[in-house]
Amino acid sequence: MNKQGSVAIQGVVKRHGSVTVLHGIDLEIEAGEFFVLLGPSGSGKTTTLRILAGLESVNAGNVYLDGEKVTDKEPGERDVAMVFQSYALYPHMTVAQNIGFPLKMVGQTGDTLTKAVADAADKVDIGHLLDRRPGQLSGGQQQRVALARAIVRQPRLFLLDEPLSNLDAKLRMETRVELKKLQRALGVTAVYVTHDQEEAMTLADRVAVFMDGRIVQVASPKEIFGRPAHASVAGFIGTPPMNLLAATWQGSDVFLEGAGRVRVGVTSTDARPVTLGVRPADLRLAPEGLAARVELIEELGDSHIVIATLGSERVKLRTEPTSPLREGDRVQLGLTPDAAHLFDRATGARLN
Amino acid sequence: MRNALLVRRLALAAMAGALLSIWAFPVLWALLTSFKTERDVLAYPPVWWFTPTLANYREVLFGSSSIVPNLVSSMVVSVSTTLLTMLFAVPAAYALARLRYPAKRASGFYVLATQMLPPVGLIIPYYLALQRVGGLDTYAGMIAIYLTFSLPFAIWLMVSYFEDVPFEMEEAALLDRAGRLRALWHVILPQVRGGIAVTTVFVFLNAWNEFLFAVVLGGNRVRPVTVAMFNFISVEQTQWARLAAGAMVAMAPVIVLGLLAQRHIVKGLTVGAVKGGGRR
Repeated sequence: MNKQGSVAIQGVVKRHGSVTVLHGIDLEIEAGEFFVLLGPSGSGKTTTLRILAGLESVNAGNVYLDGEKVTDKEPGERDVAMVFQSYALYPHMTVAQNIGFPLKMVGQTGDTLTKAVADAADKVDIGHLLDRRPGQLSGGQQQRVALARAIVRQPRLFLLDEPLSNLDAKLRMETRVELKKLQRALGVTAVYVTHDQEEAMTLADRVAVFMDGRIVQVASPKEIFGRPAHASVAGFIGTPPMNLLAATWQGSDVFLEGAGRVRVGVTSTDARPVTLGVRPADLRLAPEGLAARVELIEELGDSHIVIATLGSERVKLRTEPTSPLREGDRVQLGLTPDAAHLFDRATGARLN
Repeated sequence: MRNALLVRRLALAAMAGALLSIWAFPVLWALLTSFKTERDVLAYPPVWWFTPTLANYREVLFGSSSIVPNLVSSMVVSVSTTLLTMLFAVPAAYALARLRYPAKRASGFYVLATQMLPPVGLIIPYYLALQRVGGLDTYAGMIAIYLTFSLPFAIWLMVSYFEDVPFEMEEAALLDRAGRLRALWHVILPQVRGGIAVTTVFVFLNAWNEFLFAVVLGGNRVRPVTVAMFNFISVEQTQWARLAAGAMVAMAPVIVLGLLAQRHIVKGLTVGAVKGGGRR
């Protein structure tokens, strides 16, 4: 049985009236992968998930599951399960009936149904809640019911739409870990939508970063953080995200107007307008470099975020809590050449 | 402080009592009247203490002017109207609330617009139309006419209940391989149970209490209880006691229906199903 759960999206365009939500996206997801669609709200990630589910049609392009074209197939014919942000449980049914519903709909009854429901409930530790109704459960428990309902029929594809966003911070972190374990144990392909980069980084085997209806980068979390392919990705990933500064690149130096210059590892023969990207943790005090003035210090406990003006721009740097910097100090900032990310000023594409 | 609170409560209770008595007086007065003899009814000033009699009930139930056949007639018309209305209104309202199709907005407004026509203006056209097709004084004709105003009303009322059901619940059902019809049956309809109960009661009530169309379009074979009661009022005299007894008997089925439906009009059923759900 060919039930691996690989996904291919080719040239998918989606319009809502005159607004184009997806400008022709291509995506390959391998079987068994934990794949995260990451992006700010309105970037098209949820639309992409809903297209995979069959809940939205496409204006152009195709969707394939395990090599089979499913573009025009109904949601119920695709053998995919989804966990909604709101959980979308059936309030008039007990937990057991909720979990068993997808099986009941394909004619399963009796002991096989009961056993499958009990198994799924045990996998997410809600075996003791089977007789309750959704209204009697906490948010975390409801979320587990939604998960159980999705895994009970062993779908080839598991779609999750910001499933943790309604949980409080502590529960979110715990559930995140369990979710990853569950996906590994089941070996099922998971496509997970989130705007939370921390979730994306911790959960994903690979991430697709969405910006304005386009996919700007598909890579492992490590690469997305270490080598963002586009200035918009750089400006979205990281807490706080990368500093992006208008600069001119000539030779092996980058000049920042009114602040000075820094050495980068690569050379350009002509003067070229670029965006220089530096992670806050990669900026440090140096004997000579970019002249800056400390404006504000945010104390986070294990580190400090220092906000400084550099020429006409504002940068953030992360320092040790023991740092002697005070607000109002004038300092020189430097970075190692390999910490410099260069992007084309006009297109945003990565240059080094 | 404590006294102020007490005074406030007493004032509130008094006001509520006053409003309640305004509402309840006609009903209670009719109830009292139904147990009076015609002499006691016409006594002036009104008597509060009288010897109650069941003669009026005996007359309207078993006497020569028994309204029992008319109750049956009303029942046939009202039940048929209600069943047919709900049969068509529920899917129609679902479609209006959910599906995307051309001219959806226009058709929604049309449904409401039919409610804006004053019924009086329709009587003569309806009369002529029924006459043409031989529908005067028939159950089929009467029910068809009742459907013309109960159906738009029911659709309009049901749409708002369907709109309150979260989209995602239905999408979840579709992904759970229910298909649209089974999603409607297993997932959506249970969410709008309360709405169905409310709408059923209102449609039944409207049909049961309808008088204007019944008296013009009915007659001998189809003679609902409202028309029959009108017969207690004649040129020579008004038989107030019998009229009151008839009214009491005619109220009974509606009250029973109300009590039955109340149990199904459960509030807050959707609470907790969806974050931020439970708007009813």
